[in-house]
Amino acid sequence: MSADHARSTIPDRIAAPRLGLGSIRLSEAWFAFALVLPALGGIFVVVLFPLLYSLWLSFTDVNLLRAGGPAIELFGVRVPLFRWIGLQNYARILADPLYWSSLWRTVYFVLAFVVEAVLVGLGMALVLNERFVGRPLMRSCLLIPWSLSRVVVGLLWIGILDFEFGALNGVLHNLGLIDRSIAFFKDGWSALNVLVSVYMWNQAPFASLLFLAGMQSISEDLYSAAEVDGAGYWQRLRYVTLPALRPIMFLVLVLATVNGFLMLDLIYVLTMGGPANDTTTLSWLGFQTTFAFFKFGPGTAILYTLTALCLLLAFIYHRLILARFEPEA
Amino acid sequence: MTPISRRTFLRNAGVLGASAVLAEGLPRPARADKPVSFSGWVFKPDTVNDYVKLYNQKYNAQVKYEAIPWAQYHPTMETRALAGEIVDVMYCNHNNRERWYENGLIRPVDDLPGTDELKKKMTPANLDSLKSKDGTKLLGLPYFTSLFILIYNEPMLQQAGIKAPAKSWDELVEHCTKLKRDKVSDTPFLPNWNNSPSGVMPQFMTDCFSEGANVFDAKNRVIVDQEPGAAKAMERWQKVYKADLVNPEVLTKTSSTDTHRLFWTGRYAYHTNHSYYLKTIAGEPENSKLAPRKAKMAMYPGTGNTYMWTDSYTVNAKTKVLDDAWKLTRFLGGNLQGDWYVQRQWCLIAGLDNPYPEMYEHPEIIQSYDRWIDLKLLREQYKKGKVIGAYKEPWYGEYDTKAVATVQNMIRGTITVPKGLKDLAALQKSLA
Repeated sequence: MSADHARSTIPDRIAAPRLGLGSIRLSEAWFAFALVLPALGGIFVVVLFPLLYSLWLSFTDVNLLRAGGPAIELFGVRVPLFRWIGLQNYARILADPLYWSSLWRTVYFVLAFVVEAVLVGLGMALVLNERFVGRPLMRSCLLIPWSLSRVVVGLLWIGILDFEFGALNGVLHNLGLIDRSIAFFKDGWSALNVLVSVYMWNQAPFASLLFLAGMQSISEDLYSAAEVDGAGYWQRLRYVTLPALRPIMFLVLVLATVNGFLMLDLIYVLTMGGPANDTTTLSWLGFQTTFAFFKFGPGTAILYTLTALCLLLAFIYHRLILARFEPEA
Repeated sequence: MTPISRRTFLRNAGVLGASAVLAEGLPRPARADKPVSFSGWVFKPDTVNDYVKLYNQKYNAQVKYEAIPWAQYHPTMETRALAGEIVDVMYCNHNNRERWYENGLIRPVDDLPGTDELKKKMTPANLDSLKSKDGTKLLGLPYFTSLFILIYNEPMLQQAGIKAPAKSWDELVEHCTKLKRDKVSDTPFLPNWNNSPSGVMPQFMTDCFSEGANVFDAKNRVIVDQEPGAAKAMERWQKVYKADLVNPEVLTKTSSTDTHRLFWTGRYAYHTNHSYYLKTIAGEPENSKLAPRKAKMAMYPGTGNTYMWTDSYTVNAKTKVLDDAWKLTRFLGGNLQGDWYVQRQWCLIAGLDNPYPEMYEHPEIIQSYDRWIDLKLLREQYKKGKVIGAYKEPWYGEYDTKAVATVQNMIRGTITVPKGLKDLAALQKSLA
């Protein structure tokens, strides 16, 4: 169906109730709603309710072992509401210097990770978009790092980077390039950058896959026209590929940013936030506060500040990348 | 083939049935114990399953065991309590015991049959550590007790011409310096400075005790900033770290288990860690280059005092099957069978000690420990084990975790020792 034809049908549909079909339309709408209701119920129970409840917890004084007081009943389950303390949890975490140092570390981590993941992902996609022998195999291999559980990724990289038994130190030593093992996790700065790189290794293939899908949907005609106009490789990349990838770029940036902010498992496996607090990010601090100190109120408050940051950045990306983007009809 | 008549078949079946009953002994009691739920963190769950199976068979019981990963164990148990689930018998580590008691999750066991007898058999320090903050209630029976010990690599010391292990900290540093200088070992010292709750903080307390310093006062306030011994211990840590005598990545190891595995390589001369880790280091040739018995224990330097703790089996305050839950608890943490079965199994299988000294006179235990440790010396070390009461305070868990960064910063020299010790005292004050 052409775009014009599609547009021409819209007034007919709007006019339908005036033709006496309103009640049928309404019942169809309700029927459709009834069909999706179980799915909506599922989403409410497993997504929306936990989200709202955890937001509520961030404004309360939670002690799981003292759950008396007001509560709501949900499908026969008693859900305690705990004591409302307003913004006290937020005030407490914002007054903690550890929160701010973790925040700046998180910002660095996310920034470095997003840049690395986008550049490496785009680079790999550009290579895999070209025709060469073994391309299907390479495309399949691309997904291996992404398909691994992050605990496995962490253990794998411990095997590579460890000071005592790491494969990399062994190779460098055997090549005569070092006479003493390199301690990649010795100081906080290098440990943090190792975390960034390992996470990029795990996540860049997914970015690459998205970019590749985007590149496949760019019309060959555009490249042919650009070539006729005398555009070389870099000019085609600059003026054809990258502009056409803007929606994908938005998606990759949002996903990479959110994933970067929420990354926890690699810290758990590789550094536990150390040495000292040098690899403690907000997600780790929130996890520790909640599950090690049993402070569910401040813990959820920390994690909701992360959510707010993610939403803010998604909005900025949208304004910068998509606001002036005109999709093809 | 001879045909079997109906009469013969019935007779033989009757004989077989009777034999089965006789072989089993007397018929089982008609009343089985009520179902008991039992949860613990993951540590050798197969061993636990085995003794739960034995218990179920022997006592015609219905215990259902479940293992939960260590990191999620205590939050999971609390979440379940929140949801109204009653787990009748639960592992509980020392840091959470008082909180669970004060919030009504577990009950004291003083009033239950056989407790007084068990109390008499326990070493007083362990008994104290199992009691409530006010010292009036016993909150559980022991799962295991442990303390920090000094382990040395005998072949490495011999190779360097060192005749006996260090008896003082100065001597230990001197040995390590020599081993590094002679290129016998790149990083000869492996202290348990890892990031986990069982790592750098208990190691810090241990070394403070060994220098004669207290970490907490009688009111459980941190007083390390007033203790010269604590400063001495920290200055020594800074010195060995700066001199590259220690594997720098020990600070980011995520558990004491990972840390002790480094000693398996035979590349270190000295190691400080929980006593039971020597069992794998010196007793498992399939894993460790220092087995059998090439790694040995020496008395802890300085005063010889080291940090000791006791983890426990606890009974849910809301259990509806108190008699059966307590019976299981006595089987696990006491002597229900008359042969300390479970406690003995942990000694034999994992080198996990317990606070019942009489067990260590048993020939089977002596023989088993002889394969990996000098039991006499270990018992001497236990006499010098020091318990603290601070972990019964509500702020302790958070202090213990947050203090890791300060102590590791002192080690790395990013803050001075006096400032670090002051920061620890200030941290505790801010949380109390």
